[in-house]
Amino acid sequence: MNIKKILRLQYLLMVTLLLILSYNIAEAAKGDKEAGKKVYEKKCAWCHGWTGAGDGPAADFLNPRPRDFTSGIYKYKTSNVDNPFPYEDDIFRMISDGMTGTSMPFWKDVLSDKDRWNLVAYVKSLAGLEGEPTAKVNYGKQIGSSAESIKKGKELFIDRCSECHGDEGKGDAMKKLKDDWAGNRLWPRNLTKPWLFRVSSDPKDIYTRISAGIPGTPMPSFDDPASKKKLTEEEKWHVVNYVTSIKNEARRIKEGDTVVKAKRLAGELPKDVNDEKWKDVESTAYPLVGQIIAKERFFTPSVEEITVKAVYNDKDIAFLLEWDDRTNSIPGDAKAQELADGELNEDAVAIQLPVTIPEEMEKPYFGMGDSSHPVNVWHWKSGTTKSEQSIKVMDSTGFKNIKTRDKSNVNGKGSYNKGTWKVMMTRPLKTDNKDDMQFEEGRFTPIAFATWDGTNGEKGSKHTITTWYWILLKPPTGSKVVFIPLLVAGLVFGAELLIARSAQKK
Amino acid sequence: MKISKLSLFALLTIGAYLVLKIVVPIIGRFLHPGTWPLIPTSLLKMYMLFIIATILLYLTSKEESAKELISPIKATLTDPSKRMLRNIIFAVIPLLAAYITYSSVAPSYDAPVELRSIHPAPPSSANIYNKSYNLNSLKNPLRDDAANYAKYVKEGGEVYFKNCFYCHGDKLDGKGHFYQGFDPQPLPFMGTNTIAQLSESFVFWRVATGGPGLPKEGAPWRSAMPIWEHFLSEEEIWKVAMFIYDYSGNKPRTF
Ligand code: HEC
Ligand code: HEC
Ligand code: HEC
Repeated sequence: MNIKKILRLQYLLMVTLLLILSYNIAEAAKGDKEAGKKVYEKKCAWCHGWTGAGDGPAADFLNPRPRDFTSGIYKYKTSNVDNPFPYEDDIFRMISDGMTGTSMPFWKDVLSDKDRWNLVAYVKSLAGLEGEPTAKVNYGKQIGSSAESIKKGKELFIDRCSECHGDEGKGDAMKKLKDDWAGNRLWPRNLTKPWLFRVSSDPKDIYTRISAGIPGTPMPSFDDPASKKKLTEEEKWHVVNYVTSIKNEARRIKEGDTVVKAKRLAGELPKDVNDEKWKDVESTAYPLVGQIIAKERFFTPSVEEITVKAVYNDKDIAFLLEWDDRTNSIPGDAKAQELADGELNEDAVAIQLPVTIPEEMEKPYFGMGDSSHPVNVWHWKSGTTKSEQSIKVMDSTGFKNIKTRDKSNVNGKGSYNKGTWKVMMTRPLKTDNKDDMQFEEGRFTPIAFATWDGTNGEKGSKHTITTWYWILLKPPTGSKVVFIPLLVAGLVFGAELLIARSAQKK
Repeated sequence: MKISKLSLFALLTIGAYLVLKIVVPIIGRFLHPGTWPLIPTSLLKMYMLFIIATILLYLTSKEESAKELISPIKATLTDPSKRMLRNIIFAVIPLLAAYITYSSVAPSYDAPVELRSIHPAPPSSANIYNKSYNLNSLKNPLRDDAANYAKYVKEGGEVYFKNCFYCHGDKLDGKGHFYQGFDPQPLPFMGTNTIAQLSESFVFWRVATGGPGLPKEGAPWRSAMPIWEHFLSEEEIWKVAMFIYDYSGNKPRTF
C-alpha cells in the first residue's frame, strides 16, 4: 500500500466520522419539552403566561400582546399556504432573533442553542403540535431590483396591498383590523420603516410574508389559488422590490444624533409645512416612548419616532415636526370615530424648552420641569369637526403645576397627508415676556418633544415623550472666526520676535 | 544614551496625554463596561495644564537641570548655524496657535458632554412614605422569612413585569422596549457592575425615590427612573429587590 492510498483512507474515515457526528448533533437539537418548560417558567412566563395563554403579568402593558401558544398559530412561518403551522426552524428563529418593534426580545445572547430548541419543543406542546409542515414557500427565481420592476411592483401594490398598508405604504388605510386570538386591535405595518419589521427587511423575508401571509392576522397569503388576488412568483418579486424601494431613511434614529441643527436663513422663513425652503434643511429623528414616569402612565403608544427641522432668521424661529401617525383623529367625525377603540381625541404635538438656557449642566426636570426650573411647552392640537387647529403656550413647574396662558405668542399650523402629520411652529427669537425662553445664537439649548395619537386613546398625561435633546442656532461662520485666529497668530509671532531679540542681545 | 531635558519634557507630556486619552478609558471600559463616562475635552485640557506645570516644576527644581532644559532652546534662538530651524519654528508656532484658536471659536454641532455619577453616595437617612429611614442600618425585612423566599421572589417578579421591564428589560439587561428613549439609559441588573455592588438599602432608596431623589451629582433632572413610592408599597419594593437579585444571581453587598 502506498502513502497516497493510506491518506485517502484516512480522509474517508474522517468524512464518515464527521457525518455521524453532525447527524448526532442534528438529533440532539430536537428539543426536550420538559427541559424547555423549566427555562420557559424562568424567562418567558412573565409575558406568555404560566399556561402559555399569552396572559402573563406583563401582557396588559404590551401592544402587540404576547403570543398565546395554546392556539398553535404563529405569525411568522416559512411553510406554504397549505400548511397552517410553522417549521420548528421558524419558531427557533423568532426565539433566537426576537421580534423588532415589539417587546419580544432576542434570546440568543443568554440562552444556548439547546435551551432554545427545548423551548421550541415546549411551546409546540402547549398546543399539542406535532411533526413538521409538508412544504416550504416556493421562491422561484429572484428578480433583482430595477426601475421597471419597481414600477410593476407599485401597480400591484396599489391593487393588492394599499387597502391595508395605504397608498404610500405607511399603514394608514382606513380599515379597522383585529387579530384572531382575542380580537386585539392590529395596525398594518408602516412599510417605509423596514427596520421595524418583526422578522427582517431582507427581500426574501418580505417575499415569504407575501406568500405565507401572517396567520392570525388579516394579512393574507397571496399564494391562495382560490383567491382572485393571487400573485405569481414573478409578481411577488416585483412587489418585494417596490416595498424595499419606499424606505424613508430620514425617519431612522441615528444614535448620538442629539442636536436639532437650526439653519440660519437670510430672507423670509418658510410659509407652511410644504414650503420648498424646508427641502434642504437637515433633519434629526428622535425616539418617542410612552409616558411611563408619572400618573396616569401610558404604556401602548402607536407612534415611535418624530423628525425635527428648524430654521431661523434675525427675527423668528420656525420648527417643522413630522411624524407618522396612521390616523387623522378628528373628534366628531363619524369615519374617524369608527377607527378609534374608545373615546376619540385630537392628535397633538408639543415642544418643551427651559425658560432659562442653563449655564451649567443643571437643567429642569425633563418631565415638565420642576419648582426651581420652569419650562415652556408649546402645545399644538389638530382640532375637531367643530373647532379649528389650536396652539397654546403653557408654563410648567412639574406634572402637577401646568398653567395654560390665555394668549399664545407661538403660531402653529399642521397638515395631515397619507399617514404623516407635519406641523410647523413659529415664534419670535426674543419676546418681552419674562416667562418665555429667549433664543440665543451659538448656545446649546435643551429641547424635548411629545405627541398624542387621539385614535389610540392618548389624552392629557397619556402620550409619548422624549428625553432632553439639544437645539443649536448655529451662527454663520462670520468674519470673527477668521479674524481672531489671525490676531492670535500675529501676537504669538510678535512675542517670538521679542524673545529671540532678548536672547540674542545677551 | 542620555536624553536631553527638553526631549524628556516632551516625552513626559505626550506620555501623560496618551495615558489620559487612551489608557484610562480602556481600563475604565474594562472595569465598568458600558457605564464608563468619556473625559470631555475641556476637562482633559485642565488635567494637561496641571501635568505640564508639575513636569516643569520637577525639571527646573535644580539650577543645572533648569539650565540644561533651557540651553537647547537658547541655542536655537541665538546660534547662527540654526537659522533655518529657527525660521521654521517661528512659522509653525503661530500657525498652530491660529489653528487651536480657530477650532475653539468656530461653531460646531457637537453636543456638550455631561458627566454624572452613576452611584452617588446615598444620604444616611431618607424620608420615604412620610417616614424617616436610617439607610445605614436598614435591612430587607422579608429576608428573615426564609420559608417564604420563593413566594416573595415570584411576587417581586410580578411587580417587575408590570412596572420595570419596559425600561430595565425582560432580560434584566437594561434594554426593555422603551430603553432607547431615555438618557441616561436604564441600568442593567445582570453582571456585577450595578446591584451586585450595592446594599439592599441603597436599592430600596433608589427605587423608592427614583431619578428626582438623586443628589445633584447624579443629574436628577435627566434620570427617567420613576419615583416608585408613588406607585408601589414598601413591601412591593422589597419584593422586587429580592426578584432582581434572585434572577440575576447577584447578592446584595452586606459590608
Ligand atoms: C416582555 C415580554 C416577552 C417575553 C419575556 C417573551 N416574549 Fe415571546 N413574544 C412577546 C410578544 C409581545 C410577542 C408577539 C409579537 C407580535 O405579535 O408581533 C411574542 C411572540 C413570541 C413568539 C411567536 C412568534 C410568531 O411567529 O408568532 C414566540 C415563539 C415567542 N414569543 C417565544 C418566546 C420565548 C420562548 C420566550 C422566553 C425565552 C419569550 N417569548 C419571552 C413578548 C415576550
Ligand atoms: C387585509 C389587510 C392587509 C393586506 C391586504 C396586506 N397586509 Fe401586509 N400586513 C397587514 C397587517 C395587519 C400586518 C401586521 C401584522 C402584525 O403585526 O400582527 C401586516 C404586515 C406586513 C409586513 C410586515 C412583516 C414583518 O416582518 O413585520 C409586510 C412586509 C407586509 N405586510 C407586506 C404586505 C404586502 C406586500 C401586501 C400586498 C401584497 C400586504 N402586506 C397586504 C395587513 C395587510
Ligand atoms: C422609565 C424607565 C424606568 C422604569 C420604568 C424603571 N426604571 Fe429603574 N432606572 C431607570 C434609569 C434610567 C436608571 C439609571 C439612571 C439613574 O441612575 O437614575 C435606573 C436605575 C435603577 C436602579 C439603580 C441601579 C444602580 O446600579 O444604581 C435600580 C435599583 C432600579 N432602577 C430599579 C428599578 C425597579 C425595581 C423598577 C420597577 C419598580 C424600575 N427601576 C423601573 C429607568 C427606569
